[in-house]
Amino acid sequence: MHAFDVLGDPVRRRLLELLADGERTAGALTEIVRAEFGISQPAVSQHLRVLREAGLVSDNKEGTRRVYRIEPDGLLRVREYFDGFWAEALEHFREAAREETG
Amino acid sequence: MSTVTTEAIRKTVLVDFAPAEAFELFTARIASWWPVRTHSYGGDKVKNVILEPHVGGRLYEVTDDEEQDWGKVLAWDPPNGFLLDWQIGEACGTEVEVTFAPEGPGSRVVLEHRGFSESDPRERYEGGWDVVLAPFVETASKKA
Repeated sequence: MHAFDVLGDPVRRRLLELLADGERTAGALTEIVRAEFGISQPAVSQHLRVLREAGLVSDNKEGTRRVYRIEPDGLLRVREYFDGFWAEALEHFREAAREETG
Repeated sequence: MSTVTTEAIRKTVLVDFAPAEAFELFTARIASWWPVRTHSYGGDKVKNVILEPHVGGRLYEVTDDEEQDWGKVLAWDPPNGFLLDWQIGEACGTEVEVTFAPEGPGSRVVLEHRGFSESDPRERYEGGWDVVLAPFVETASKKA
């Protein structure tokens, strides 16, 4: 189980918002996010890698540029994540309820 | 080929007491059962989980340093149920509804998490952006 931080990071949220408008190069994304959050280029690359590995964005090399776009199936993975998330959370609620009536 | 659906997530718990008690345990006493170690931003550092019991109320975690929102109350109807705008990162724009209905001598608690099926990603993130805009603008202007 992952903590919310995996999904809830504000930099990654901003990257997804930027890509929701349309595809962008790694360079353009980095420039915007570096200015807004004051983080380094390697830090931005790391966030993009997390989003790629989570299946929320995809990237393609186009000539000399790396172009990122939102992965439409990304929503399915987020749903999958929360399916397990709620199963676990409600198991704890069930346990607490059992202790109440005991 | 993915077989994962975008239908709502739906989970059910049966408890041995009336809806009013179930509602109270779920909401007013959420901190007593919510697994913060695995289901939070702060993990072991989380000191409290609070669900403010009214429309517009926040669901949030508290650590020594800060509070982090998880969602906002859109509808509040004790003991029947409540509805949250779920605001965790990539799931921004989804909703979580929990209902409490009498069943036999006890209650049926149903949680539904929905909103995963928008075809246009922009629909999801536009709503989310309004929620996050204010703190980022503040932070950005402090850094400037």
